[in-house]
Parts: sequence; C-alpha cells; structure tokens
Amino acid sequence: MLKAIIVDDEQHCIDRLTDLLEYNGHEVEIMACCKTISEAKKQISMLQPDVLFLDVQLGNVTGFDLLAQIDRLDFELIFTTSYDRYALKAFKFSALDYLLKPIDRMDLMEALKKVRDNRNLKETAKKIDVLFHNFKDGADPSKRVAIPTMDGFTMVDTGDVIRLQSDGNYTHIHTNGNKKITASRTLKYFEEMLESNNFFRVHKSHLINLSFVDNYAKGKGGYITLTDGTKIEVAVRRKEELIKRLAPNS
Amino acid sequence: MPDSIKNIFFALLFFPLWGTSQQNLLDSLQQELANHVTKDSIRAGLLIKIAGEMTYSNPKDAFPFVEEAIAISTTTDWSKGESYALRQQGNLHYVMGDDLAALDAYQKAQHLAQTIGDKALETSLLSNIGNIFADLKQYDRALENYEAYLNSARALGNIPDEIKALSNMAIIYNDTERFEDGVKYLERALKLSKQEKNDLFIAAITNNLALAYKKLGQYPKALMHYQEAADLAHEIGNKYIEASALNSIGTVNIILKNYELAAINGQRALDLSQEIEAVEWQADSWKVMSEVYEHEGKMAEALSAYKEHVRLQDSVLSEEKKSELTRKEMQFKMERQQAEAEEEIRRQQLVKNGYLAGAILLALISIAGYFLYKRRRDALEKKRVAEFNAKVAETELKALRSQMNPHFIFNSLNSISDFISKNDVKQADEYLVKFAKLTRAILENSEKKWITLEEDLELMELYMQIESIRMANKFQYHINIDETIEPDNTLVPPLILQPFIENSIWHGIAPKKGEGEIHINIKKEGDMILCTVDDNGIGRSETKKLGGKKSSLGVKITSNRIEIINHLKNTKGSVNLVDQKEGVRVEIRLPLELQF
Repeated sequence: MLKAIIVDDEQHCIDRLTDLLEYNGHEVEIMACCKTISEAKKQISMLQPDVLFLDVQLGNVTGFDLLAQIDRLDFELIFTTSYDRYALKAFKFSALDYLLKPIDRMDLMEALKKVRDNRNLKETAKKIDVLFHNFKDGADPSKRVAIPTMDGFTMVDTGDVIRLQSDGNYTHIHTNGNKKITASRTLKYFEEMLESNNFFRVHKSHLINLSFVDNYAKGKGGYITLTDGTKIEVAVRRKEELIKRLAPNS
Repeated sequence: MPDSIKNIFFALLFFPLWGTSQQNLLDSLQQELANHVTKDSIRAGLLIKIAGEMTYSNPKDAFPFVEEAIAISTTTDWSKGESYALRQQGNLHYVMGDDLAALDAYQKAQHLAQTIGDKALETSLLSNIGNIFADLKQYDRALENYEAYLNSARALGNIPDEIKALSNMAIIYNDTERFEDGVKYLERALKLSKQEKNDLFIAAITNNLALAYKKLGQYPKALMHYQEAADLAHEIGNKYIEASALNSIGTVNIILKNYELAAINGQRALDLSQEIEAVEWQADSWKVMSEVYEHEGKMAEALSAYKEHVRLQDSVLSEEKKSELTRKEMQFKMERQQAEAEEEIRRQQLVKNGYLAGAILLALISIAGYFLYKRRRDALEKKRVAEFNAKVAETELKALRSQMNPHFIFNSLNSISDFISKNDVKQADEYLVKFAKLTRAILENSEKKWITLEEDLELMELYMQIESIRMANKFQYHINIDETIEPDNTLVPPLILQPFIENSIWHGIAPKKGEGEIHINIKKEGDMILCTVDDNGIGRSETKKLGGKKSSLGVKITSNRIEIINHLKNTKGSVNLVDQKEGVRVEIRLPLELQF
C-alpha cells in the first residue's frame, strides 16, 4: 500500500485522479489532497507520503516552488500536467515521471508500477537536483541530464557529452573525460532531448555535440572529426543542414 | 640613237648662270652674316640666301648653312624660315644627285608650307618634287605634281611658273612618246614665254618643240624651230641650247640629205660644244660630221670622226649608264622606302585594327560581363523569389496544417457529445483520454514539416482506434509496410493520410451494413512512396446518392498540401481516388524523403 498526497489547484483534477486510483483497488491510499503550496508543505511534513502527485501549474506558482521549500525529499514524485512544453522538457532532462492530463488509466498504472519496483529515494533526490539545476540556469546551454542506465541513473553535464552512438535500443554516450555511458534509451530519445542544446544528428547512428567539432571534411556526405579524434560519417541527407549549422553565414 | 637624244629635251629646272657677280654677292652676304651673330630670323634668312648662292658652285659646303638655318628656325618656331631652309636643303641634295634626300627635304618643306599657308613656296615645291619624280622616271607622279604646280601657278598668276609647269609636262609627254600632247603643251608654253618676252625660255622651248616635230617626222617644221632656237640662243649667248640646236639641224639635214647644211651646222655645233666641253653634243656633232665625210667620200675623216663619235658616245653612255644605275638605285631605294612606308602604313593599320579589335573585344567582354552579371543578378533574384515563394508556401502549408486540427477536433468533440448523449460514460471517458492523447500528438507533430512514417502511422493507428471505439468496433484496420521501406527513416508530411481514412470510415464504412475493413499499404515506387488506403465501404456513387459531399474539407486541404510540396521539392506527388468493386481506393504518391 502506497501512501499518496495529491497536490492540484483544480478540484475536478483531484477528483479524477482519486477516481482512477480508487478504481485500481487498494494499492494506493490517498492521505491528502492539497490545493496550495503551504497546505501541501504542511501535509507532507506531517504525513510523510511515499508518493506525491504534483501538478506543475498551481495558480501563479509552480510545483517546483513547493519542492524548493522542502528540506528533505524522502518521497517519490509524479508530476501531473496538461500541456507545458517547458516543463515536459525539464522532466525529460531529469528523468522524472509525469502524467499528462487527462490522465490515462494505463499510464497511471505504469507510473505506479515504476514507483513500487524502483523505489530509490536517493536517485529521486538526484533527479530533483537536476531539475533544479536546469531550472535555475535557464540561459546556460550546459544543462544537467539524468541518463537512465541499466542500473539506475547517471547525471551528466550536456557540455561534457561529445557524442552519442546508437546501439539498437541502447545508446552509448561518450563524454569529455573519455568515459562511456550506456543508456537504456534509443538515440531518438536523446536527439529529441538534446537537439536544442547544440547537438546534431549527423547520421542514423550518431548524435554529436557541435561544440566538439574539430573539422569537417567534404565528401559525398563527408566526415566530421571531433576533438577527441573520432571520425564520424555524415549522412548525405544531413550534410546540407550540418553545414548550415556549422557555418550559418556561409 | 633614241637614248642619246632622250636627254636633249631641255628641262627648265635650273639654268645655272654663274659668274663673278654671284661671287661678289656671296662675299657680301657672308660679310653680313659675320656681322649678324644673333640667332634670329635675319641670320636664318642670310644663311638660306648664302646656301642658295652656293647651290651650283659649292653645294657640299652649303649644307652647314642650311642646317644652322633649320636649327635657328626650329628653336624660334619660325616655320616659314624652316620651310625655306628645307627647300634649300632639298636643292643642295638635288644638285649633289641625292634625289631621295632631296625629296625628303622637299616633302618636309611642303608640309610646313601647307601648315603656314605659304602658297608660293608650296607651288615651287610641287615643281621641285615633280622634277625628282621625272628624274626617277616616275612619270605618273611627276605629272601629278606638275599638274598641281600648273594649277597653283595659274591661281597665283605666276606666268614663269606656269611656263615651267607646261614645258616640264610636255617633256614628260615627249619622253613617254605622247608627242602630240608634248607639242600642244610646248606651244602653250611658247606662247606664254613670248608674252613674257623671256628669250631663254623661248629658246629652250623652241628647241624642245623642234625635237618633238622631228620625232613626229615633220622635218621642215623641226628645222624651222631648231633654227629659231639656235638663233635666239646665239643671241642670248646660251651655247648649250645653240650647240644642241645646231647638232639637231645637222642631223635633220642628213636625214634630208642636205649634207652641206649638215656639215656647216655640225661643224659649228662641234666648235661650240668643244668650247663648253659638252661631251654629249660633241659626240652628236662627230656623228653628223662622220656621215657628212662619208657622203663626201672622205672615208679616213669619216672613220676618225666616227671613232671620235663612238669614243665620246661611249663616255656619254657610260655616264648615262652610271646615271641610269644611280637612277635605278634610287628607284630601288624609293621603292624600298615606299614599301617601308606602306609597311608602316600596314603596320599602323594593323595597330589600328589591333586597337579596333581590342576595343571590340573590350566591348564584347563588357557586354558579356554585363550579361553574366545580369544573369547572376537574375539568378540571385530568381533564387530570392524562389526562396520567398518557398517561404510563402511553407507558411501556407503551416496554415493548412493548423487548419487540420480544428476540423479534426470538432469532429471528435462531436463524438464525445454523442457518447454522453447515449449515457455511455465509461466509453466517453476512454474515448476522451485517447482523444486527448491524439490531440496532443497532432499538436506536437503538426508543427513539424515532416515526421517519420513510423510516427505518422502510430498516430493513424491511434486515430483509427478512436474512431473504432466510436463506431462500436464496426471496422478493423490493417497496416502493411513494404520491406523496402524503413519506417523510422522515411519522412512524410504529418497526418497526410488522415482525411482519407476519415472519409473511408465515415462515408464508406459507416453507412454500410456489416463489418468494414481498412487496409493501409505503404510501398516504394521509384523515388516516390505510394500510400494506399482501401476500404470496403459503399463507394462514392452510393455516397452521392445518400447526399454526401463531393469531397471533404480535409481531402481538399491534403491535395493543396501535396501541390505545395510538389512546388517546393519539384516532385510529382499526387492524390488519386479509384472506385473499386467494393469501396474506394485512395492512392497518394509522395516524394521519398529519407531522414538519413
């Protein structure tokens, strides 16, 4: 039985989530439903929930503001949101779970299953750290990113990632310190996440950080040499776009 | 024989009248020059005069005087002085036998005379130049100059010059055996000379006229004129003309077999010519005498006279040969000069042509350059226009994509309303959640120009699931992608199939009794992909009967999108609706776009 607190400023959202959780049987016990940050803060410290359903947009403030005010994050976190691209991106970077409203019953069950299976409060804290890091340094192109691996998560600075190479459903991430991280996500997952951070998919199997490009040798598609010495083939169809990105004024 | 006579026509070029008076004049001029050291026009004038006086006595030493005159004239910009000095220089060269140098000097002088408009000088130069051409046997050019000389003289009213021109021309006519013309011109000259009372001219011209008549075989006329010439020459003391005339009288009388007269005249001619050391005339006289002696039977005298004739003739001939050689040489030189001049003209023409060609080339290059520039500019302009059009098209496309959403959204909202009205809350909820998911996906993807086929088909599946719920599972769908296609690497415009699937469901299957089926097939066709949507619905004819629309808004929008893509990508995407036995097939051809 998981102890849960729901934070949402709209009653019908609370009602719907409550309905869905109750319909699921006796796996989740809803201990409180809060509409404001102050109330939520009080309830959290009092009730010590296992899982917090947190709406991103709470009137004029956000769910992140609530998290910022909590000293000890000893609960799992599931964000709920309707449509907020910025927040979604932040969740993806920090690998935090989120549910999109109107919440799909199947999605909710999956999220709860994850909470039950991989309860790891330390990691959740780290993910929230990443979230805050990215939130604060909105202008900094180097963001932290929580990379899901086989055994959990690794936090990496996007500014340290040189390139990512696809390997079926996995992705090898090569970083500046000559480290290699194997992520349990497809290259597409990372492409979507990182494309606005100066990363570019030069090839079906390669996503590179353009900040680490040493030179580009023309050819049919050509080759990119990165600062660590690796040569990456450029797909013919990506060549034009790549040149545009490397030398926007030419 | 003709050779020996040829030069007997007296050219009225220069009649050397040399005597002590000239020497005195020269001395006084030189004295004057010594007193006038200032390098001005007065000194230059004196220098020219002195050189002129020295022409026949000492031409060689006269050169420094003309040279100084030329130098003074050039430094003081006195063109008249320079031209007279040049003319004098020409005279000196002429007397020295250097015709070409003379011609050169005369021509320079002529040019200057023309510049300063000194008609008198120009006229006399025409005569000088004509003489040179006559010497060189360039008769055409000589006549040309003489004719100009004649006209100028007439214009200036200078009768002596007119006489000279006429008689010089006559000499040329006679030399070229146009004796009638020669006689005509000589008669005119003679008339003018008599009018002028110039005895020297009369004598010389009469002598020439006589020769012309002789050449024409009119011996009495010839004799009469010879006699006149001889008498007048005797009167004025010109022994050259006298000796020549007397010789000729002798010759004609021999022809006429009047040997006595021939003897008298021949002897007098011989005496005179010996006196003046005129070898040529001596030779002629000896000839006359030899024939006279022969006729008189004095064979020894005849022989010795003939020998004398031959000896002198030889020397004359060798002189003539020499002069002929010189003449030939000069002719050659002149021809060479002419050739060189022509070469120079050709060269200049070539240079001119070169410049012209260069100019034309430059013009062509400029024109070509302009056209290249224009083409480049046009290309740039075209590119800009194309880019602009592309932008417009993209914007249109975006507008069309965003137009999709409300269309689809309101259809779906209608379904939800339908569920609620039927009181099926659970279905309504399930439907709504899926609809929200689909809407979110459409919102995200319709922003994109292209999405992968994989993603698009996922969307279509979700869409068909939703519609299936709505129609209580009235239909099933099958999606088949050909092996040659990589769904995750093939790009398609988002939601391009959706309107057709919607049509199949709502206009084909919904009115149909019984189960429906939708088949979506994707395959490669050259560099295009062919997407077909087959339904087993009631077909278009039935739909029309039921009062269905001809084509839905969605289909229209999709057709427009494909048209714009064709325009942008220069491809031949198309939409075809094919009626089948059962239902409709929609064929959509799109350019095969790969992500990588």
